[in-house]
Amino acid sequence: MKPLKIAMMGMTHGHTRKYYQTLLENQKLDWVAACAEDEEAKKVYELYQTGVPCYLDPNEMLAEHPEIEAIVLASANNRHFEQMKFCAERGIHILSMKIPTFDMEEYDKMIDLVDAAGVVCQIELEMHYNPVVRRLREIIEGGRLGKLKSIQATNITLSPVWAFPWQGSPEASYGKRIPLQDGSGRFRGGALCDHPHIFDLVRWITGADFQEVYAQTAPNLRPELQVEDMVLATGKMTDGTAFLFDPSWSRLEERLKVPGPGWEVFPKRMEVNLTITGEKGMLQCDCFGPNVYHNGAPNDRYTVQYTYFDEWIGLIDEFVDCIRNQKTPKINLRWHRKTIDFMNKCYDSIAAQAPVRIE
Amino acid sequence: MNKDMNEFLRKLCEKYGVPCGKIFPKDSRWAVELPSGECAALLPHRVERRFVELKKLVDTATLEEVSTLRFANFQAGGPLKELLARELDLAAFLAESPIVSLFATGDAATVCNTIVRFQDGKSGCLECGTALPESQKSMDRHELIARRGVASDRAVDTQVPQDSIYLWTGNGNETYTDTDLELYGLPDEELTAVRAAFALLKQPALAAEWNRAAETADKLSALALRSAETSSFFSGKEIC
Repeated sequence: MKPLKIAMMGMTHGHTRKYYQTLLENQKLDWVAACAEDEEAKKVYELYQTGVPCYLDPNEMLAEHPEIEAIVLASANNRHFEQMKFCAERGIHILSMKIPTFDMEEYDKMIDLVDAAGVVCQIELEMHYNPVVRRLREIIEGGRLGKLKSIQATNITLSPVWAFPWQGSPEASYGKRIPLQDGSGRFRGGALCDHPHIFDLVRWITGADFQEVYAQTAPNLRPELQVEDMVLATGKMTDGTAFLFDPSWSRLEERLKVPGPGWEVFPKRMEVNLTITGEKGMLQCDCFGPNVYHNGAPNDRYTVQYTYFDEWIGLIDEFVDCIRNQKTPKINLRWHRKTIDFMNKCYDSIAAQAPVRIE
Repeated sequence: MNKDMNEFLRKLCEKYGVPCGKIFPKDSRWAVELPSGECAALLPHRVERRFVELKKLVDTATLEEVSTLRFANFQAGGPLKELLARELDLAAFLAESPIVSLFATGDAATVCNTIVRFQDGKSGCLECGTALPESQKSMDRHELIARRGVASDRAVDTQVPQDSIYLWTGNGNETYTDTDLELYGLPDEELTAVRAAFALLKQPALAAEWNRAAETADKLSALALRSAETSSFFSGKEIC
């Protein structure tokens, strides 16, 4: 198979660096260029010494590399529409970060753009390529838990805002400045926006859609943030499965400009755990564990050394397969729309301080 | 031998553009035939991810000045000699120094407790046994203790290995730990053997080193059992 000529754009997203090894090692890919949002993003990119040239102007990148077939949009949420349009208009396939946009009108325009261009647009939801999740799905689909009754899930992390400031900006993260409630000094765009995975997973696992939700925030752990950092949501799916999600930034961090060793204060900086109760039994699942542990440099704190973290390999494999074999990715814009819409409903519930029914 | 092992290996090699070889059983361990025709012993523990991460903690100076390695590995049956050989090689690999002396106790049939000294002065101990009841999963622990930091493949305040999934149903309790989507479906032992073969195929220069290490580990393992049987301390020429 001819290697896919691929580029990256933005380089300001927290997941940017997770692509480097896969893009360099996978023989199905030829990573030819990167285009940073600004000088600062370019400087950070250059720290990783990938050997792949980095530009500041996407037009210049394409002029130098007209062979580019696909681009990973590793940028702030409010940059995605413009960048997707840029790609679609040029017939370039797109790998978008996990939140294409929270503006549902803009979201529908993205679908139209991609459809009109006939390009592949895959959304990066890496849990689909996690081996523990694969086993979890096999257990559930094999009927071993029977009909599901309840799913509790965490997607809790440290806050990335100090390294990726756009994630603390209501406009850059949520797309606009909307107070969490009337008169609130906090705005949409925080931890909830960072953690769509469990919302997506529960749809995937149950095969059902969301029916209702009640969500609420807590006082921020980081009072200086303009966006929420602690949030809970509970509700029901259309098949009757109850859920309770914690998508918070509940693990404190050292305020590093560039993520690296010593970032975490709490030993495990990122957790996706599920507890699932069915009519025939119960299951507990840690999608990122067990690991290796240490209390060495730089901070001598007990720390989880993430040991199995390969989701980007499978994700990229699927992207290439979809492009080369004219397939639709599992996580495409249409599939993901209901998840994004539901996350907005969580914000609506927070604003109303009341449950919201999904029509 | 599971024929899928070579099929998984072929797919990995194809995906990453690496010339392929063939895994086959040889003596007490797996081996791989390289495209050159050379055969190499597989040391799967050297590419097992938890040990790669432990080694990385040493190599990146996250741990500074390792003093002692404390290992334990208890299995349900199987030859004690092979288990010891694996742990002895892993110890030398993570210590980044060869073993120069050892003394062991135990019945040498199902249990063997070994204290070793590494050439660079580090100390180590290996608690090995094969007396777990049949069908029990292995219980192991590997801990590196340094002047700065302790690292372990087991979480603090836990005595036994943890799993990713715990399932409780009317049919009993089950656990699962899946770590590799590219080789999903292979049993752990075969999965790490495929990864080890792939590592050798990517870097054939490792073959000589691994063959030497396998030979050394077998020799040390036999000495440890002899030490346990005879209360003999081995060092110097007997070991090197």
